[in-house]
Amino acid sequence: MNRRLIDISVTGFSWASGIVLLAAVFSIIGFLFVKGYGALDASLIFGDTNPVDALLLRKPVFDGLFPAMVGTFLLVVLSVVLAVPVGLATGIYMAEYADGAVRHFLGFFFDILAGIPSIIVGLFGFSVTVFLHHQFSGRIYPCLLISALSLAFLVLPYLIRTTQVAIEEIPLEVRLTAPALGATQLQNVCYVLIPRALSGILTGVILSIGRCAEDTAVIMLTGVVATTGVPRSLLSSYEALPFYIYTVSSQYVDHRELMTGYGAAIVLLLICASLFASAYLIKYLLTRQFQVRF
Amino acid sequence: MNRENVARRLFLSAAILSASVTVLILGFMVVLALPLFKQGLFFEILSQPWLPDSSIFGIFPMIVGTASIALLSLVFGFPLSLGVSALASTFAPTRIGFLLKKTVQMMTGIPTVIYGFVGVFLLVPIVREMFGGGSGMCILAASAMLSVLIAPTMILFFSESFENVPKQHIDAVDALGGTPVQKFLYVILPGSWRGILTGVVLALGRAVGDTLIALMIAGNAVALPSSVLDSVRTLTSHIALIIAADFDSLEFKTIFACGILLYLLTTISVLVIRVLSSKTRGMP
Amino acid sequence: MKAFTFQGIMFGVCLIVVALLTIVPAGAGPIDGFKGQQGTIRISGGTAHIPVMKEAAKRIMTENPEIQISVAGGGSGVGIKQVGEGLVDIGNSGRKPSDEETAKYGLEHFKWAIDGVGVVVNPKNPVKTLSRDQLKAIFAGNETSWRALGGQDKMINVYTRDKASGTRAVFWKKALDKGVITARANFVVSNGAMKSAIGNDPYGIGYVSVGHMDATVAPVALDGVVPTLDTVKSGAYKVARGLYSNTKGEPSGLTALFIEYLFSTEGRQIVMEKGFIPVR
Repeated sequence: MNRRLIDISVTGFSWASGIVLLAAVFSIIGFLFVKGYGALDASLIFGDTNPVDALLLRKPVFDGLFPAMVGTFLLVVLSVVLAVPVGLATGIYMAEYADGAVRHFLGFFFDILAGIPSIIVGLFGFSVTVFLHHQFSGRIYPCLLISALSLAFLVLPYLIRTTQVAIEEIPLEVRLTAPALGATQLQNVCYVLIPRALSGILTGVILSIGRCAEDTAVIMLTGVVATTGVPRSLLSSYEALPFYIYTVSSQYVDHRELMTGYGAAIVLLLICASLFASAYLIKYLLTRQFQVRF
Repeated sequence: MNRENVARRLFLSAAILSASVTVLILGFMVVLALPLFKQGLFFEILSQPWLPDSSIFGIFPMIVGTASIALLSLVFGFPLSLGVSALASTFAPTRIGFLLKKTVQMMTGIPTVIYGFVGVFLLVPIVREMFGGGSGMCILAASAMLSVLIAPTMILFFSESFENVPKQHIDAVDALGGTPVQKFLYVILPGSWRGILTGVVLALGRAVGDTLIALMIAGNAVALPSSVLDSVRTLTSHIALIIAADFDSLEFKTIFACGILLYLLTTISVLVIRVLSSKTRGMP
Repeated sequence: MKAFTFQGIMFGVCLIVVALLTIVPAGAGPIDGFKGQQGTIRISGGTAHIPVMKEAAKRIMTENPEIQISVAGGGSGVGIKQVGEGLVDIGNSGRKPSDEETAKYGLEHFKWAIDGVGVVVNPKNPVKTLSRDQLKAIFAGNETSWRALGGQDKMINVYTRDKASGTRAVFWKKALDKGVITARANFVVSNGAMKSAIGNDPYGIGYVSVGHMDATVAPVALDGVVPTLDTVKSGAYKVARGLYSNTKGEPSGLTALFIEYLFSTEGRQIVMEKGFIPVR
């Protein structure tokens, strides 16, 4: 009897947890879509400006998300371009070249880097900017480049880890075949390991893109502003979607701006969801391809 | 081979560069907090209240704020995550378990700022009206939202360690005619406590390190809280709010004290996780 | 030739539209000074200034797409510090920079508007008037219920700004007589944020630039005087201050043009539309 009671209460609690969690998630997303549905139209992005003029940068956009979307896009591209080569190379080093002790030692640093709160990375970026401004050039301000660099530091450990794991997960017989046939270590890396680990590596890259697109804490310390338009150079300030959502939530001036905030939240959510879905898809497709080929 | 050496050096220097970022971040904060150490103010700052009008800039209330929000979010999030991961890996039919896990994975992709945004317009008014006192921007609202943010970290980690429990142990329970609940309580749970602990430490790290949710819905007051309906400021929010202050002021330098503190907490949690996982590997 | 006349007509239409919008006689407006210019103007600091800055930036950038003007907040202290450090071109402040600050950085002040700082509550709150002593008691955290003041039996939620805020400095000095502000107060980061916080919290109280007040918040009379544009203008409402734009040294180039624009007929019109009293 007692045992039955435990059985029922444990399974009951477990199902209740599942329902509570799903209810929480779907009410968060549902609330956003129900309230923000009306904001989704062309003027959400381009405001009162003609979309063609806006896209060709002939006319600045006000009251629209266009500058923030361009800012986020540039930010993501820059950060990934900066972070991916270093992250991949480090991941390869960790998986292929480093011996046990070195791997353990370096891994400790990467674990810390992965665990540091993003606002600390932002604080670092900000401090470096102030330092450079005082020591080198008065023309260095918090800007797009600084933010991208800080975000690159933020996603670096993810890239290292996913690359390392993707290579280490390759079966040992595959990892050793090429060297056994007389291939050099570099040939093995380039022609066997990277192609085989590609799905894992790409997944890591895409998830890093998502991380760059959603982060707010780093950029709010390193150069994002509420109003500036499309950035003209790497050294200028910029707008970004997550920061726009944050700003609107605390200081919207009228109903229209609030609705634009809802719209921005939906747009950001959709961007992140599609990145996530494509990461999943790539993993699925590439894994299947290899299963077929081998 | 020359090319081999060049490649090797390149990979090595990338690794050194990456590792040096970790050191550099700490270095910068320590250098910028140096005046605090020199004047012997560092520990004073950690233990004093924040009274800017009397020129006392202590971050003790922020430490308490961070601790209370993070711990309460764990109080909400831990049982929830344990329940969901048990459901996904043991109790639910395979298909539902799979879908549940995929949903939880999707959750990790939801931007933090969205949790904050929905918190401001949905959760805060509910908390304000339901509990009668205060603005609704409080420990309770922030930790409730934060528990949703940190749940996926725990769920994914818990489920993984449940699945790593040796299959022969599970088969033994099945052979003895045990129920799924008995299997879970007496075999899976004890067999995966290290994984559970690791998941909790990771989740706690996320809760302590998150900025946006607390900044947006915890109210940012600098008093010591006396109830969960009080508004508090976390260490991370404090950095975000004070970053705009005068660089030369004592007020501004306190954010580096916050930074060093958060860095140390991260390092400790990494060490704990490493100890836990090295023991797992050493197990027969 | 034909294209030329078409352009001429379009130019004329534009001028008329501009004239109608700004109610100034068509002619060489101050915005023309920006014509053919390019570059950036970086503005930060006082958050009361933001609506005016944004509108001015919008008009200038629409006419001259080669100019980029970025507007950030932070508060008056930030504006003064950042312009002093050379991080921005214009640092706004809702208080006059101190003599020390002025001397340290070699600041030039441009006071382009008069503004008040008024106490606001949610429009649903029946309490619409407070004495100075009641106000001080509320902000010090000694008066914690709306009931004693004629409102509902609910706790008072005090909202305040951080130390970098000029609005806080003026309010603290002139309304609270440098009294205590409770540490339990919720913090918001700008005038805009104060307004939306009070607009969302039926039991909140805060202080905001008079220019920012609208239907989403209700002004509270202090010692019988309601903070409005008119009472500030007449001098009846005492918690008033200037809105300043500060530059490091004499402004030049685009920065000078921007400051000039704020004092032009069109600039003064914007200042008025946004709820402030322009200064000659």
